[in-house]
Amino acid sequence: MIEPDAQGTSLLLHGRWTLASLWDIDAALRAAHVPAAHLTIDGAGLEAVDTAGALALVQGLALRGADIGRTVNLQAHHAHIIDAVRGQNEAPAGVALPARYWVGRLGFAGAQLARLVRSDLDFAGRCMAAIAELAVHPGRARWKEFAAQLEHICIEALPVVALVAFLIGTVLAYLFGLQAEKYGASIFVVDAVAIGSARELAPILVAVIVAGRSGAAFTAQLGSMRLTEEIDALRTLALSPMQVLVVPRLLALVVSLPLLVFVGDLAAIGGAMAASAPLLDIPPQLFIERVHSQLALQHVAVGLGKAVVFGAAIAVIGCRAGMNVERDARSIGVATTSTVVRCIVAVILLDALFAVWLQSVGL
Amino acid sequence: MNAVEVQGVHTQLAGKIVHDGVSLGVPRGKIAALIGGSGSGKSVLLRVIIGLQRPAAGTIHVLGTDVWSARESELNALRRRFGVMFQDGALFSSLTVAQNVATPLREHSHVPAWLLEPLVRQRLALAGLPAEAAARMPSELSGGMRKRAAMARALALEPEVLFLDEPTSGLDPVTARGFDQRLRFLCDELGLTVLLVTHDLDTLRGIVDRVIVLAAGKVIAEGSVDDVQHTDDTWLHTYFHGHGT
Repeated sequence: MIEPDAQGTSLLLHGRWTLASLWDIDAALRAAHVPAAHLTIDGAGLEAVDTAGALALVQGLALRGADIGRTVNLQAHHAHIIDAVRGQNEAPAGVALPARYWVGRLGFAGAQLARLVRSDLDFAGRCMAAIAELAVHPGRARWKEFAAQLEHICIEALPVVALVAFLIGTVLAYLFGLQAEKYGASIFVVDAVAIGSARELAPILVAVIVAGRSGAAFTAQLGSMRLTEEIDALRTLALSPMQVLVVPRLLALVVSLPLLVFVGDLAAIGGAMAASAPLLDIPPQLFIERVHSQLALQHVAVGLGKAVVFGAAIAVIGCRAGMNVERDARSIGVATTSTVVRCIVAVILLDALFAVWLQSVGL
Repeated sequence: MNAVEVQGVHTQLAGKIVHDGVSLGVPRGKIAALIGGSGSGKSVLLRVIIGLQRPAAGTIHVLGTDVWSARESELNALRRRFGVMFQDGALFSSLTVAQNVATPLREHSHVPAWLLEPLVRQRLALAGLPAEAAARMPSELSGGMRKRAAMARALALEPEVLFLDEPTSGLDPVTARGFDQRLRFLCDELGLTVLLVTHDLDTLRGIVDRVIVLAAGKVIAEGSVDDVQHTDDTWLHTYFHGHGT
């Protein structure tokens, strides 16, 4: 491909200097002992040259301290290409991204988390302001959107919530039943399942399901609306995206979650009841009587009350992530994933805070 | 022989006839422009030619390969010989500009490691993009830079033919004319064949060798800009002269 002459002043090129043969060009450059000088390029044997091949020549010579002094015997269109490549080759070096070490990454992640939490709180504040505005001007409420969201969030989630809660109730009855039976305390299985699911399990379970269904959907919907500038269009039409998009979703989720939790309570108790009859010899009638006498209203109320807070948290996180998505297709996926994770973490964090607080007020 | 040869293409989209017997040819080393009113099927025809949308009938030859009867392996070999620039760039949003340009090089050619970065920079320079844009993400680029980055990616594998969908739409006139000059340069100096879809009169008058006019699913005029603008057609007359006859 490349032959230096005996005097070390010119290079004879032959063969195909193209993208497809870069590997061979590289090998030939290494083998050829190119003298570090202004070289005369003799292109008599050159069959083809393209911009990649010409670049390999120019850069390969530069690496070896040589450059092209003049060219001879080049076909006109080969000369055009080599001249074009030499002409633009003064472009400055590209900028590499600085590498971050783990301390830096940790700090960066921490700062980013703090920013996210702050922006969630900020968004929650703006939601409150929008709801307050609604209280002053009830005419601005979007009842149609609210009803549509209620259907998506609540009605369409009913089957999956009921199924999952029913199965978990069954599993719990088995788990507790096998242990309690050893002490002849089978009947306490009813207390455990009823109180446990009403207070803790059903709210968490339902919140996780809703975070995956609706929290993610909010982010994806609002994110793609932002991508197509629909949200900006709303603003320019003097419509508030908060009132049109966010508040109906927030209210619908806050209303839906306690309703779904109530369904979850019933399904979990139903599941435990279904398992108790064959496993623990507790007939449904006895089971229901026991639930009636042991499950105080406060436990159910605590569960439903927590669901309201969880709902608000999921809606705020989901909508905020959607409204602030960056303007490219990838960030919708990233934001949606992060919404689900952060909703679940937020729900469990809030639940732990509730556990401590309720304990201290004696509920 | 023509680099692109389209014969008797019929296309239907959702039951609606888009092309009713379209034939055209693009000679090697020339810049050809496809023009026509909105909805006249220009972009669809481009998709048919590059093998993304199957026509109901007709044949398309690109660089001598029959696009719609070629096997997948032949089609992929052909795809390495032409470059496509989509209207909004279609850059991979999870990769930087430099990685976008490097993707076809990494996948389809054996580039020695020391040469990859200079090669990417060369492609960016050919497309007229400043070197500092290389490390940026597509979401951080302006519309004009996105188009140039897409052009750099289309040029990555030394294509013989370049297909461009509205390369200058949404660009300011100065950037747009710069883009035109770069196309002319690629065509004259590197011998590329270019087929572009455009609405831009200045592109047509400035750099295009051959204009192909689509209307009502047919080619109604084909030839140099001068020939076409004196064709007796109301739409064309309004297009070139600003008012109907």
